[in-house]
Amino acid sequence: MLTVALQQGINGIVFGSLYVLVALGLTLIYGVLVQINFAHADIVTIGAFAAYFFTFVFGGNYLVSIGIAVIVGAALGWLVNAAIFAPLRERGSELLPLIATIGVSILLQNAMLLWFGPIPYAFDSPYSNEVIRLWGGTFITWQNLIIIVVSALTIALLYAFMKFTMMGKALRAVAQDRETAGLMGINPNQLVMLTFVIASALAGMGGAMLGPVLVLTPFAGTSLIVKAFAIVIIGGFGNVEGTIIAGLAVGLIESFATQLINPGLTDIVVFTLLLLMLAFRPTGLIAEKREENV
Amino acid sequence: MSSEARLRASQSGKRRWWLLIAIVVVATLPLLFQDSYWRANLIVCALNVILAIGLDFILGYAGQLNLGHSAFYGIGAYASTLLIIKLGVPFWIAFAAGMALSGAAGMALSLFAVRLRGHYLAIASLGFAVIVHQVLLNWISLTQGPLGIYAIKPPPDIAVPGLPILSFGNSANMFYLVAGFAFLFYVLLDQLVRSPIGEALAAIREDEVSAASFGINCTVWKVFAFGMGSALAGAAGAFYASFVGTLVPDAFIITESFTILAMVIVGGMGTLTGPVWGAILLTVLPELLRGIGDLRLVVYGAALTLVVLFVPGGMVQAARIVRARLACLPIASTRQ
Repeated sequence: MLTVALQQGINGIVFGSLYVLVALGLTLIYGVLVQINFAHADIVTIGAFAAYFFTFVFGGNYLVSIGIAVIVGAALGWLVNAAIFAPLRERGSELLPLIATIGVSILLQNAMLLWFGPIPYAFDSPYSNEVIRLWGGTFITWQNLIIIVVSALTIALLYAFMKFTMMGKALRAVAQDRETAGLMGINPNQLVMLTFVIASALAGMGGAMLGPVLVLTPFAGTSLIVKAFAIVIIGGFGNVEGTIIAGLAVGLIESFATQLINPGLTDIVVFTLLLLMLAFRPTGLIAEKREENV
Repeated sequence: MSSEARLRASQSGKRRWWLLIAIVVVATLPLLFQDSYWRANLIVCALNVILAIGLDFILGYAGQLNLGHSAFYGIGAYASTLLIIKLGVPFWIAFAAGMALSGAAGMALSLFAVRLRGHYLAIASLGFAVIVHQVLLNWISLTQGPLGIYAIKPPPDIAVPGLPILSFGNSANMFYLVAGFAFLFYVLLDQLVRSPIGEALAAIREDEVSAASFGINCTVWKVFAFGMGSALAGAAGAFYASFVGTLVPDAFIITESFTILAMVIVGGMGTLTGPVWGAILLTVLPELLRGIGDLRLVVYGAALTLVVLFVPGGMVQAARIVRARLACLPIASTRQ
């Protein structure tokens, strides 16, 4: 029983770290722009396909393919900001950019469906089958270990960047008050672009690591993104620490709900949690003074 | 008679003409399209019109971004069908119950989300749609899950003494029925929008705080608009089930919400004629493009993005621009 619990705990952390990578991007963008990028999901999917094609069609190394996915993701983030968010920013509408990116998402998803087909791709990472035995009969595959280590390192780096570098501080300044930050000589447009690039690079990375553990179809990102929204809200929109905690928590809750209740009901559990959170604590786990958004 | 009143009178006169033309067109459509494929498309068009004007009432008039319209569509479809199959309730009572239940669910979600604005409501409604879809999939003893419900009967025949029996197994009659209801709902919303209620909703959409300071109860009207829109989706759901004859949960996945949203935006959010045109265009256009492959959703995605970027007022705005250009043309030519 303990072994099963431990094993589910490990699996939960693996998925939780992936959720954190994807959700952090959404939260960062929301932090500086107060906007939602719905096409974030498809950047995850395209990252996964980029890694797949690099490894299996061009015969590249899987670990290098994660780097490729990061670059592809960053480029897409730049494109989405330049094509959608920057032109719409002047109009100052709250909902139009979200609606436009829903369109981008539908477009990308179905273009991929036409191109790659609906049949799931077998993305067997060379690390998926090698197992490290841990105490008491539990185990972890190399792939899952890579996911945990790479995510943890990335999240730590990002955190350090936000906390200690000049640029990170400028980002947080823009997130807190864009106008005042502008008066202090920070160029908000550049920082918004930087945020999009970082956020989408994280999404691409998430995709490359998610490909081997999830079913790789053109819809892989979409099933994830709705969950990422739930995580972002549970953690508090724009709140990095809250998002990390909520992402890991959702991974663990899912993992145990699959084991204890019924795999079909995990989504219901997660989204009921989301609605309860919205009803009773819409500011998220860690409350911030951001009432104007609620 | 003040000039404003005269303008209104002439506008309402014009509207009456347009309604009459629309009735004639709707009446002749099934005669023009005799094959079952295009007749089915006509019915889908009418269903989409009901869905789109309902969503537009919530989004364009009350300013609430509802990404879960598919959930209310599904609730109406499943509730009415299950009432008929499991409890033997007559169709029209089940239809009304499905509508009422969808409306109630919409009001509940709206009431619950009344403190939330914009993005939060969008995600709450998205979450609600995921939950509804998952419940339909997993509550197998009630909904038969992914296997679906089969052999759902069309609405019962209407027999008026002295007239031939009206059977809804006939696709032309089914189209008249759904289109008739679409018409009814359109006129109803049109009246609502022009009434003081419509003005209250517009005030809330523009600025909730100042609306409240004028004594408008924002909560009540937002919940009302949400309930109204989702009840219409419920009606469409009940018709959908009886028209298609089978129900599977995947007919009501969140992508369906996005396609309805695309119809509203492409047509012109915040007008009632816009979503009607949007629904018709986005139902017919992909069918015409069928030869190129399954481009349906690619068209939806591209249309949605391009319209938001370049013509945020949708087809209604585009038509206005074209009309203004045409009106300018003769003047420009006489000047030369």
